[in-house]
Amino acid sequence: MRVVIVEDQLLLREGLIRLFADAGHETVASAERAEGIEAVVAGHRPDLVVVDVRLPPSYTDEGALAAKRLKESNPGVGVLILSQHVETSHIGDLVGLGGFGYLLKDRVLDVGEFLAAAQRVAAGGSALDREIVSRLVSSARRDDPLAELTERERDVLALMAEGLTNAAIAKRLFLSDRTVETHVRHVLGKLDLPEGEDGHRRVLAVLAHLNATRDQR
Amino acid sequence: MKALGLRPVPVALFLLTQLITVVAVALSLGVEPHFDTLLFALHGFALAGAGALVASRQRGNPMGWIFLALALAGTVGDLVQGYGLRGTPEGWTGAVTAQWIDTWIAFPLVMGWAVVFLLFPDGRLPSPRWRAVPWLAGLCVVPATVGWALSPDRDAEIQSAGNPVAVTGPLPEALLWVGVTVYMGVLLASILSLVVRFRRSRGIERQQIKWFALAAAVNGVVLPITVVVGFFSGWLIQAATVTALTLLPIAACVAILRYRLYDVDRTINRTLVYAALTVTLAAAYVATTLVLGTGLGADTAWRTAAATLVVALAFGPLRAWLQDQVDRRYNRSRYAGLQRVAAFLEDLRAGRAAPERIEEVLREVLSDPDLELRYLPPEAELDDGDDGRERSVVSRAGAPIAMLVHGPGFERTPDLDDVVDAAGLAFEIGRLRVDLRRHLDEVTASRARLVAAGNEERRRIERDLHDGAQQRLVAIGLALRHAQSELDGSASEVSQALDGAVSEIRLAIEELRELASGVRPALLDGGLAPAFEDLARRAPLRVTVTATPERFPDLIETAGYFVATEGLTNAIKHSGASTVVLTAERCVNGLRVSVTDDGRGGAEPAEGSGLSGLIDRVEAQGGVLTIVNGAGTGTRLTAELPCG
Repeated sequence: MRVVIVEDQLLLREGLIRLFADAGHETVASAERAEGIEAVVAGHRPDLVVVDVRLPPSYTDEGALAAKRLKESNPGVGVLILSQHVETSHIGDLVGLGGFGYLLKDRVLDVGEFLAAAQRVAAGGSALDREIVSRLVSSARRDDPLAELTERERDVLALMAEGLTNAAIAKRLFLSDRTVETHVRHVLGKLDLPEGEDGHRRVLAVLAHLNATRDQR
Repeated sequence: MKALGLRPVPVALFLLTQLITVVAVALSLGVEPHFDTLLFALHGFALAGAGALVASRQRGNPMGWIFLALALAGTVGDLVQGYGLRGTPEGWTGAVTAQWIDTWIAFPLVMGWAVVFLLFPDGRLPSPRWRAVPWLAGLCVVPATVGWALSPDRDAEIQSAGNPVAVTGPLPEALLWVGVTVYMGVLLASILSLVVRFRRSRGIERQQIKWFALAAAVNGVVLPITVVVGFFSGWLIQAATVTALTLLPIAACVAILRYRLYDVDRTINRTLVYAALTVTLAAAYVATTLVLGTGLGADTAWRTAAATLVVALAFGPLRAWLQDQVDRRYNRSRYAGLQRVAAFLEDLRAGRAAPERIEEVLREVLSDPDLELRYLPPEAELDDGDDGRERSVVSRAGAPIAMLVHGPGFERTPDLDDVVDAAGLAFEIGRLRVDLRRHLDEVTASRARLVAAGNEERRRIERDLHDGAQQRLVAIGLALRHAQSELDGSASEVSQALDGAVSEIRLAIEELRELASGVRPALLDGGLAPAFEDLARRAPLRVTVTATPERFPDLIETAGYFVATEGLTNAIKHSGASTVVLTAERCVNGLRVSVTDDGRGGAEPAEGSGLSGLIDRVEAQGGVLTIVNGAGTGTRLTAELPCG
């Protein structure tokens, strides 16, 4: 996997490069700022761009804006945003896109999960931090279709939303694959979504939809 | 001479009269009563002085010259009298003739005053229609004086000789009768002209006539009395006469030169009040003495003591009552004005009126619709302004506290000082309130600055935590993971220890994140909507959020956010509510944030509670926090935060 890292803090940048190197991935370029990142991506054609939300000069949402620009100009490239805290307003409609991830920074310490998420994103899948997912899913709205889900179904939905496969979900929840499939079917049924091979993408679409309606209200 | 604005010719004439007076006094001393000599010398001095002042400063005004002429004639008369009285026993040449001249010389002088009445204050007739009057005055002087001078009645007035030109028969009597009759007509016409003038006059001229009329009125009272009581019956009467006559030139001079012109109303007012007071008290004294003396037969000492007591007791209330009566009759507008101010003060005391309304009251009372009241801060410089508007300073206890800036066309009246004095309390309260407001503004501004500084500090701490400590911890964790990956499979214990260390680091990061969000939620960078959503997700009860995506100034959003967190905390901890509604919306002047729960209500901003801190926070932004506790309908916390 060819990676580009945009991170202003030297220690962290070096740490990430080493982490990817240890797992046999190549960091083809790294930058402190988001400016000119499109050119870097065009030059190196990486599989994944890892970008910090807060970057100079204003340290607010330069990274998120750069991620949006990248997804517009290069839909094929995987973009993984790292953030110090959960801030859904920054990512908006990116949630439903393939090849997009949003993780809290300290997730990198669970090296295995982090690398798996990175690889999913690079391969066009998604990786949403469970903090974000739980906030989207644990809605308290009365008219919310999610209210009809059982607790277990909600857990399954959350892991689907994080981008995990049925098998990975089964492993995480210590369930059999068949049980997970049943739960997935129920979830999709209750949310009135058609079943299909690409179920995870549709769940992401639901999450994006929920996210969007929530912002409007 | 310069300070008084005097000019050489009038001064020369004045000095001439005084020179003549000195000679006249020297001749007269001892041959007539001293008071006679001295009083007339004093009268001459006043008349000539007034004439010199007026003639110097208003050269185009004949009044000064008329006064000088009257003074000159008067002092010459004194000189002639002195020569006659002193010279007759000594056998001086013409001494008897001098005595004879003295018998009639006052005649044209007295008649000259009729012309003064006619021409006051500008030396011109009120209108051409009056031009016959001075001619008649001049004409009637001749028969009257001649008749008087030729009368054998003068015999008794000329010592040791008798009237040298006495004419027997009806001729002198007839001449005198004709002359005096016409003169009475002239005098009446002159007084009438003054009345006409007064009616027509406005502003300054009106005040001038008032001054002169005051002196004329004193003469009008005193002179008939002296006639009735008898001119030569005592020095007191004569002194009163001369004093009354002297008042005329002095009043005329004051009026024409416009010196303290506006004090006339007050002076007239006081004159009336004290005259009435004197008469009434004297009557009371006499009545008490009589009643006690004849009715009860008390001895003199007791009567005097009792009468004095009555007078002393009556003085205060009587004076107030008379003042009130005089105010009503004499100066209705002033009386009404003072009544209006008194009513306003009563309303002020009863809390029915705000002290600020004094400006309105003054506009009305002073008929000055453009009047502006400006309170002066302590140690303020009194500026005269350069807008050409008249200004009056309001002082209390010697210190200026306010300034009245009058509108154009404002005419200063003596009522002003009285009205301002009467309204003193309102000025003082008004000034204190202005002062208080100024200080409150300062305190509010400084509180806003403190909160702003606090917010800035929170933001800095939050950033430091996120970008400093937290990042560093992640980097250390990564370093440990790298070290872990470098180990080969043999050192599983070390690997476990590293896992443990990384877990600790993760916990530390978690705690830091919590800490930072308590300090200032980084979510606020995205506005209130995501921040409220976040609050809703984390709350252990159902929270519905309706938040505008619109952005507001940072300080306003922060304050709104804390309203939401505090309201939410309150609802969770105390209200027993099951649902809470958080809203953030634009209102007329800014942002409105509200937290509504369906709990049992009863939220009170007790001292030191979260709610009282919240009030501080909201008010520091110039906002208002309202807490509505409906019985059984929960609590509604609303903050309105003004911003552009």
